Amino acid sequence: MLKMTRRTALLLAASIITLSSAASAQESSSEVWTYWGSGAEKQAIESVVALDNQKHPDTEVTHRVIPGNTLEMRRQLQTALLGGTPPTAYQSAMGYELKTFVDADQLASIDSVWKQVKGDEIFPRGLQRVVKIDGKPYAIPLNMGVISNVFYRKDVFDKLGLQPPKTIAEFDAVCDKLAAAGIAPLGNASGPFWSMYNFYAPLLSVLGPDGYFKMAQGEVSFTSPEIRKAFELYRDTFVKHYSKNWSGKTWAQGGDDLVNKDVGMYMMGDWVSAYMKERGLQPGKDYDFFPAPGIGKATLIQVDVIATPKESKTSDNFLLTAASTEAQASFNKYKGSIAANLKTDPSIYDYVGQKEVKQLQASEAENVVLPNLFFLLPTNLGSEMGNQLERFASDPSDATLDTVLKTLEALRLQDKEDDAFVNW
Amino acid sequence: MSITSATPGASRARLVYALFLALPVLLFAVFYLLPVAETILTSFQKWNGLSAHRTWVGLRNYTALFGQERFLHSLINNIKWLIFYLLAPPSLGLALALLLNREIRGETIFKVIFFLPYAIPPVAVASMWRWLYEPSHGLITVVMQSLGLGALAQNWLGNPAIVTYAIMGAALWWTAGFSFIVFSAGLRNLPSECIEAARLDGGNAWQIFWRVTFPLLWPSTIIVLGLSAVDAMRIFDIVWAMTNGGPAYASDVLATQMYDVAFGRLNMGQASAIAVTLLVMAAVFILPYITYMARHVERTEA
Repeated sequence: MLKMTRRTALLLAASIITLSSAASAQESSSEVWTYWGSGAEKQAIESVVALDNQKHPDTEVTHRVIPGNTLEMRRQLQTALLGGTPPTAYQSAMGYELKTFVDADQLASIDSVWKQVKGDEIFPRGLQRVVKIDGKPYAIPLNMGVISNVFYRKDVFDKLGLQPPKTIAEFDAVCDKLAAAGIAPLGNASGPFWSMYNFYAPLLSVLGPDGYFKMAQGEVSFTSPEIRKAFELYRDTFVKHYSKNWSGKTWAQGGDDLVNKDVGMYMMGDWVSAYMKERGLQPGKDYDFFPAPGIGKATLIQVDVIATPKESKTSDNFLLTAASTEAQASFNKYKGSIAANLKTDPSIYDYVGQKEVKQLQASEAENVVLPNLFFLLPTNLGSEMGNQLERFASDPSDATLDTVLKTLEALRLQDKEDDAFVNW
Repeated sequence: MSITSATPGASRARLVYALFLALPVLLFAVFYLLPVAETILTSFQKWNGLSAHRTWVGLRNYTALFGQERFLHSLINNIKWLIFYLLAPPSLGLALALLLNREIRGETIFKVIFFLPYAIPPVAVASMWRWLYEPSHGLITVVMQSLGLGALAQNWLGNPAIVTYAIMGAALWWTAGFSFIVFSAGLRNLPSECIEAARLDGGNAWQIFWRVTFPLLWPSTIIVLGLSAVDAMRIFDIVWAMTNGGPAYASDVLATQMYDVAFGRLNMGQASAIAVTLLVMAAVFILPYITYMARHVERTEA
């Protein structure tokens, strides 16, 4: 034990030294923190930084990689905020993540930037709702990833004479035909996100878009007949058709299953398209996608935003750049995601991107571009729901369902008591 | 006279000692005692790690934890890891050291090969094994299939019942090299006349190992077991990098749960309560063991 804590102490000392050097570095230049640490993602953010430095040479910023993910970002921000050395701007999730930092009085409202870039006109309305807390905007959305599409092997579908299904019944029939041809119908992967993202389609088909936001606001009981119905529908449309051993795979290994034609379909965020392209597949020819059955006209999105700590000084300029069509085009061209600014020139996208933009525009016309529920629920409930859905997908028995719903409902009531939900 | 003249010198010496001690004591207090105290304090509070506002909640974090299925499961997994770490890597390390302790050709190459995995960072070990354990086309499954054992291949990291043991497999490959090196050095230093004498007295290999070699290796054994126990308590990186504690908490240990609760759910109070539990548990399991072992070494060496 002594040994462990001494090592921890050493680590602490080391990180303090690093931090203080970061702090002294900050006096000369201001930093933008992201966890886009390698490859195309890194190029994407660095192109925005370069553009900003060109536009605003007086408030130069530098990019700093925080290795890891949201969790590591939170950890480092915590230390920086406690130490009074926040970055100029940082990569954040939408929704509850922002709310937590606003409640802690750590985020600056970006009202003037928002007005200047006409935020209310350029971003999808569903997205605007979740970067605003109590009506005030706190972040600039940079990119969107669609998480409600099912990718499928076009060549396999063509060979078996299958059409992309439009309804739950058609989806079920396609699954049966794939299984009869010896191909596992549907891939999935381990972790708290993927089963949950698959679940949104059945959830939306039961609750509808209004009910979806009600759920995000804590107004729908997990023990209500509707939620039970959504879980059962998820079991009967998705879980039933998942490939064997899905729970032992990462999302990329699930993507390999689609590449290798071990599975016929895979419902995953659109980043899997970039992965398949890397593996040598051609979008539109080898694979394609269709909206998840039951989802109606809605499109679900995952979003990265840029937020600015209250203490930072030069943030406005960077935010202005980040919102511009120029920066959004450059960023999303590299990253292979969709620009949050809907005025961005769609010629930057590949086959999948262009098709998704049309899909998003159609959804936007009906005001049903919906942000990922995971980031709208209080953080503890979102995480727990992801884990409970993974558990249910692994063991879809009625007994498990009872436990899952009971666990989630207890947490919802506790969050309700703590006044933790947000009216988005 | 001599006493009075010695006193100023002695006090000067004492001052010098104190000065030399001051820095480590200060560092220890600031970087060890203070964080521990702070963590204990936070474990009685509700705090999201960001807000200036903390609420005193008394024992609520602890009572919530001890009634929680996930926490008890993590606790049991930590105990499993402790048993594993005390038995498996030391046994394998010892076996490998004994195998190589025969002046065989290419000894150095084998030594490097056996020790090399220990030099790989845990995150790299985890991502390598993530591929080895891929349930459809991973190396382990494919090799088992080619040996006709395909029916025994498992959903290694996806089956809640076996995921912890699968990670232990990776950890065994990773850490056995350390025990191996310590035991190798220990074997080198054994007095060869004792073993020679045992052989002349007609002892067989098994008897010589249990009655002579193993007891003489006791100092090495203590080092290996002590450090293994510490490793078991702080087990985090390989589990986190392989499964994040999943699927659905199945491979969670206290440290992964603590990280998730602290930074995944921003519940610093409860995370601190987990840290304090881990501290107490380490004290209960490891301190008596280390004290006993230390005394034993002194006796053996005396």
